[in-house]
Amino acid sequence: MAALFDARGVTKRFGGLTALQAVDFALESGIASIIGPNGAGKTTLFNIFTGLYPADEGSVTFRGRALFGLRPDQITALGICRTFQNIRLFANMTVIENVLVGMNSRIALGLWDVLSHGPRFARTEADLSTRAVALLDRVGLQANANDVARNLPYGDQRRLELARALASEPALLLLDEPTAGMTRTEAGALMRLLRELVVDLGLAIILIEHNMRVVMEVSDRVTVLDHGEKIAEGPPREVQSDARVIEAYLGTRGSAPQRARRA
Amino acid sequence: MSLYSVLATAAVALSSLAVATAPRSVLAFLAFQGALLFVYLARIPTWLRVGLLGVALLLLMPLIGAFNGYYLEVATQVGIFAALALGLNIVVGLAGLLDLGYVAFFAVGAYSWAIFGSPHANVIFGGGFPLAGVWFYAFLFVGLFVAAITGILLGLPVLRLHGDYLAIVTLGFGEVIRVLANNLDKPINLTNGPKGITPISRPPAPLGLPYGEYFYFLVLLIVVVVVLVNRRLEDSHIGRAWEAIREDELAARAMGVPLVRMKLLAFACGASFAGIMGVLFSAKQVFINPESFTFLESIGVLAMVILGGMGSIPGAVLGATVVTVLNLQVLKGLSLWLNELKNAGVTVLGYSLADLPTQFEPAKYERMIFGVILVLMMIFRPQGILPARRRQRELAHLER
Amino acid sequence: MDYPLLLGIFPQVFLDGIILGFMYALIALGYTMVYGVLEFINFAHSEIFIVGAFVGVELLLGLKSVGLLDGLPWPLVLFLTLVAGMAASGLLAVTVERVAYRPLRNAPRLIPLISAIGISFFLQDLIRLFESLWRNAFNLVYPTIDVLNLRFELTETIDVSVKSLVVIVAALLMLWALHVIVNRTTIGTAIRAVAEDQAAASLMGINVNRIISLTFLIGGAMGGAAGVLFGVQYGLINPYTGFIPGLKAFTAAVLGGIGNIPGAMLGGLVLGLLEAFAASYLSLLTGGAFGAEYKDIFAFSVLIVILIFRPKGLLGEIVRERA
Repeated sequence: MAALFDARGVTKRFGGLTALQAVDFALESGIASIIGPNGAGKTTLFNIFTGLYPADEGSVTFRGRALFGLRPDQITALGICRTFQNIRLFANMTVIENVLVGMNSRIALGLWDVLSHGPRFARTEADLSTRAVALLDRVGLQANANDVARNLPYGDQRRLELARALASEPALLLLDEPTAGMTRTEAGALMRLLRELVVDLGLAIILIEHNMRVVMEVSDRVTVLDHGEKIAEGPPREVQSDARVIEAYLGTRGSAPQRARRA
Repeated sequence: MSLYSVLATAAVALSSLAVATAPRSVLAFLAFQGALLFVYLARIPTWLRVGLLGVALLLLMPLIGAFNGYYLEVATQVGIFAALALGLNIVVGLAGLLDLGYVAFFAVGAYSWAIFGSPHANVIFGGGFPLAGVWFYAFLFVGLFVAAITGILLGLPVLRLHGDYLAIVTLGFGEVIRVLANNLDKPINLTNGPKGITPISRPPAPLGLPYGEYFYFLVLLIVVVVVLVNRRLEDSHIGRAWEAIREDELAARAMGVPLVRMKLLAFACGASFAGIMGVLFSAKQVFINPESFTFLESIGVLAMVILGGMGSIPGAVLGATVVTVLNLQVLKGLSLWLNELKNAGVTVLGYSLADLPTQFEPAKYERMIFGVILVLMMIFRPQGILPARRRQRELAHLER
Repeated sequence: MDYPLLLGIFPQVFLDGIILGFMYALIALGYTMVYGVLEFINFAHSEIFIVGAFVGVELLLGLKSVGLLDGLPWPLVLFLTLVAGMAASGLLAVTVERVAYRPLRNAPRLIPLISAIGISFFLQDLIRLFESLWRNAFNLVYPTIDVLNLRFELTETIDVSVKSLVVIVAALLMLWALHVIVNRTTIGTAIRAVAEDQAAASLMGINVNRIISLTFLIGGAMGGAAGVLFGVQYGLINPYTGFIPGLKAFTAAVLGGIGNIPGAMLGGLVLGLLEAFAASYLSLLTGGAFGAEYKDIFAFSVLIVILIFRPKGLLGEIVRERA
């Protein structure tokens, strides 16, 4: 049986620079983390998975369907959605509107429904509201539904990005450093939430994360990238003790890894 | 009744009275417009607001027109530009696509009726033209569709362009349409070139209304429909998708917004309003030529949108009113007044106004007005006079 | 088809195209330098260009009214006019940046562009207002300097006037001077550094605001020089004359690769030649159905096609979008 998500031999070059070199990555369920020093190609991988960049070589399939050649919105409609490393909310829209935009690919209304304001339109909009509020409830932002996204504190903005991504009803969620800028407590709460999502909704999650504590705690499996190549893969404990990983990334064993500078 | 209700009613009543007693005073008419703005903004019950605006626009304005026909013409022009501003508002304000050639769609609509509603079509197709006046109503929709299709045709190649490049290309497109209108009198005479097309048929006016009143009411009706359509689009997933594109195109794509389709829809919707008004404009004017569709007009409409507030429906209407009135009444009024002073030989601080150069005519400085509006608004109030308010979504039924 | 005629006018058209091309190149530099440092289309550059032309004509008319136009040696007159036009346009560009662009530097990209469009319109009517009050006329004609109108007949069908040669030589000098400034001086290094990375440049102790002002000064001065040469070459100017050449020069800048200085020069020449050939040959080749009036459309089509198929232009780099 084909895996839920299967990437093979993904290669990406920017001019003379090889950002990714024949990376394989597969996921059936649960939470998989991708770690690696800055510039290792983690975000580039996400951009390829979600159709923002074309890859030069390789293939990606999701539920057996090839993703290369699809537009980002088509990929989202298939059930893959993401958050961004540097928070890309629709800053001047309200919190709930951000979530509603995330539902865009699940709305089956046409231009005529909108212009005629028929019963179908009213029903759909009411239903969207209910679902949006439920999502905001889940991430703890229900009280801020009508606030402008720009005015939210940093941690709330990250949670809103998560709610917005969930709004597209994905089967696979790609999170790019979701705990960056969060306090320890906030990060802990977010990780519990991710676990819940996996259990409740059967969601599969790919996580890019620099916070090793988080990675070790939450991941079922860890993939290490360095200079665009996969250098290790396996359960967190194993990866942590992999000699190549220690050399490339972790420094000396046992000490807290240096937090890499975020670009 | 609250104080505001009394004030609002009094303002409308008194200002209409002022126009009736002094029908040639620009100030009186400005007061009437100010009263309407006050009614719109004042904290009064909705029924009163709608009632007062209804009475003012449906009854008082045509009456004022009977005293001074020029005011009705001004009101009609305001309506035409309001619809254009509302159309451009979708493209620039909601979707964030700076279109500097918007007037091209207005031209497309205008020429579609001008050609078939005048004997000019005989040059192209042989006999049988002009079409009868009633065809005008059908052509309102023809203009709408032709303009929308033109919008899509323009949109398709330029969709990949961002921000300022898109602006320049749409500007170029606007110029292309104008140059074509100017030169397509050969090899086939489609537009009759700079000489323009005339006479363009008008529909038979119902109830024996004079044409001034007839076009005023028709424009008003179209503006109401356009406002309604605009509001419904804005409050739907379509409007949200447009705003998402404006805020962050890349994130919008990643969240499942089909970029190409939504951008084309924005272009088509914006263009369609201009198209329908173009048809009306050509019938109202009886004569059109390429001079009505210059870059200056596009920037004028942009200034209206910016002044009122990008993405704001009341803002677009207000912007259209202010800019049109500035152009048609204030600048021209200033010119006339200056001329009177000149002819009367008035001197100011020892300088005889009769010595003013003849080339100095305030009426000709609309570019300066547009320019000042654009620059000052961008520096001091980029959100406009009546900024788009974030809609508070009704969530009451969900709260426990 | 009249092949001998088509061939016969070729050299003359080529020459006209070169002159036009140098004009576009000089104007395009202003667009491209500003775009290089601010990633912003200085829409008002077309008016900065035409202000140069107006300052030039005012100076020449002033000299004429005191009888110095024929009294002074013509190279000196021309030199003074060029310097005056360059100074005025350069300072105007700096002022415009301070007043209308600098307060908006961190705003979303459309905001300064709209401000620039506003400045463009404002300046057009400001020139008109000034000339209307000052001369009671705003369509002005460059006074003739007899020497400049002398023509050499090279062959039966080609001739070249002194002023055409002067325009070409002056444009070449200007471009050479700019090349030296940008590539051989510390100021030029600073400009290139700011264009590359503003934050890093300011960390290296470069005063970014000053360098941006300087960029506007140099770009504006080039535009002013183009304005004077435009007036000398074509004679008639009005406050609205600058708009179309400005748009075409922008096209030239994009054609060469926006932000790229040699690209602007190349783009200008290519566009000038294309346009000159389109203007002369379109009518001949289509049997009169389409004539020179389509040359503007031709330039815009070039712009659209380039932006769609090769947005980086002939010499530009690819602009990446970051996710």
